[in-house]
Amino acid sequence: MLREQVRADLLAFSRRPETLFFTVFLPVIFLVLFEAIFGGQSVTLSGGQTVQQSTLQVPAFMTMGIISASFVALAITVVNRRETGTFKRVRGTPAPAWILIAGQVVTSLVIGLFMVLVMLVLGRLAYGVRVELSHLPWLIGGVLIGAAAFSCLGMMLAAITPSTEAAPPLANVVVLPLYFISGVFVPVDSLPTWLGNVASVLPVAPLVKVLSWPYVPTTSTPWTSLGLVAVWGAIGLIIASWRFRWTPRRG
Amino acid sequence: MPDVPPAISVTGLVKRYGDHAVVDGLDLEVHPGEVLAFLGRNGAGKTTTTEILEGYRQRDAGEVLVLGEDPATAGAEWRAKLGIVLQESRPLGALTVRETLRLYASYFPHPRPVAEVIGLVGLEEQTDQRAGRLSGGQQRRLDVGVALIGNPELVFLDEPTTGFDPDARRQFWDVISGLRDLGTTVFLTTHYMDEAQVLADRVAVMRDGRIAALGTPAELQALRGDVEITFALPAGTTLTELPTLSKAPTQRAGEVHVETTAPTADLAALCTWAEGRGLELEGLTVERPTLEDVFLAIAGDHAGDAA
Repeated sequence: MLREQVRADLLAFSRRPETLFFTVFLPVIFLVLFEAIFGGQSVTLSGGQTVQQSTLQVPAFMTMGIISASFVALAITVVNRRETGTFKRVRGTPAPAWILIAGQVVTSLVIGLFMVLVMLVLGRLAYGVRVELSHLPWLIGGVLIGAAAFSCLGMMLAAITPSTEAAPPLANVVVLPLYFISGVFVPVDSLPTWLGNVASVLPVAPLVKVLSWPYVPTTSTPWTSLGLVAVWGAIGLIIASWRFRWTPRRG
Repeated sequence: MPDVPPAISVTGLVKRYGDHAVVDGLDLEVHPGEVLAFLGRNGAGKTTTTEILEGYRQRDAGEVLVLGEDPATAGAEWRAKLGIVLQESRPLGALTVRETLRLYASYFPHPRPVAEVIGLVGLEEQTDQRAGRLSGGQQRRLDVGVALIGNPELVFLDEPTTGFDPDARRQFWDVISGLRDLGTTVFLTTHYMDEAQVLADRVAVMRDGRIAALGTPAELQALRGDVEITFALPAGTTLTELPTLSKAPTQRAGEVHVETTAPTADLAALCTWAEGRGLELEGLTVERPTLEDVFLAIAGDHAGDAA
């Protein structure tokens, strides 16, 4: 049953050009553009080490890929399914309720993993950015926990979004400033300290940190950041399950 | 059918929103295998009642049994025996007809084959078209296909043909007649009288939260037994010259109307009178009241109009 659900959700996702563009192509286009513009610059890290900008940008846009799939696309799709009565309709069949959520979450997980793979391969082949094999398990773990946490936050956003029309702008209003202050578009070191401090407790910056570590393993393993991502996921899950509904908000 | 338990049995159903009782002591029984048309004006409480029967809403009072179970507490096994077409739902636009049915088939323990359902709703030529590119009528038929995929004993259709063109409605009616032939019980909410007349074994009219009338279309029509004879008053004659009829004729816009319970005798008297004088009764018609007329009389002129 879950296989059929995921299959159908993936098919539906892949056939909507606008979500496909914003979720899959945009982070890749950003990576390519940023690499072309800033890739050659070298950056001095706070620890005193110097790395190529291109090395930092691969995990940064990997993070964006995961968030696009698990948070933005998930929230938009869930609101759409709720408001069009699709959820209500399926609740009238013997299918268990979890199948709908699981279908969406697994679908965005598959898309997120695909994005990570694209970034991984593109980073390696086009920009020579590599991950030590011994750091790969951390990267995979970080990706999975990050995707799960942002899925929960996506469900939370869906739960508090009133209408289909409001979903895309709301998701982007949340996410775009976070990209700027969390080291996705701009290195965190170039931000004012207070802004960096604010960003460091929000969910995006810790995930960038978690995914950057395998690429630049200069500091100790960022367990705190990973924990922070997980805590945000838990907060999202609690609010989502408190506010979630199956039936359209209007009518 | 006294031995067979009813498909739906409702006694004293009440549903309040605030202190307004939308459903106010509704009693209804639906026999297995029949098509029951559930009529009423907008706001009469039809959708609320239907959604209580489907298990979407909780009731405030009364007994409800649908396929022998209480919808408020019944589980997945019970839902596997139902097919539901909601008033406001459309299939996912990005999936094709076949993919949509395949997905819904996966929700049910004993689904009908997808190809069979496509045949039942007459979408053979659209099998691999995306739902978003189907016409409104075709999308609605796909919606019915989704309701049939689980091989249901009972199908709920909530105003399924609203906004259809006449062709699409006729095609839809064929689908519903097909369901009856399969022995499926159909609970059809509609506000189209012709739909009820064509499809329904029995008609229930809801008004002010209760069933105001219940019977076969013919029985309901008989509630207003008068037949109306209409003709143009022949030139050079007046109303007073007409023969004595069972009811006094009235004149409106040059036409004479006789609402009669003895149409044969009155018609004979009129024809004899006209023929004897060499007159032609232009525009002569004899009409039974339509179900529409009956409905208007029973359902009241306005939603929420006091009885």
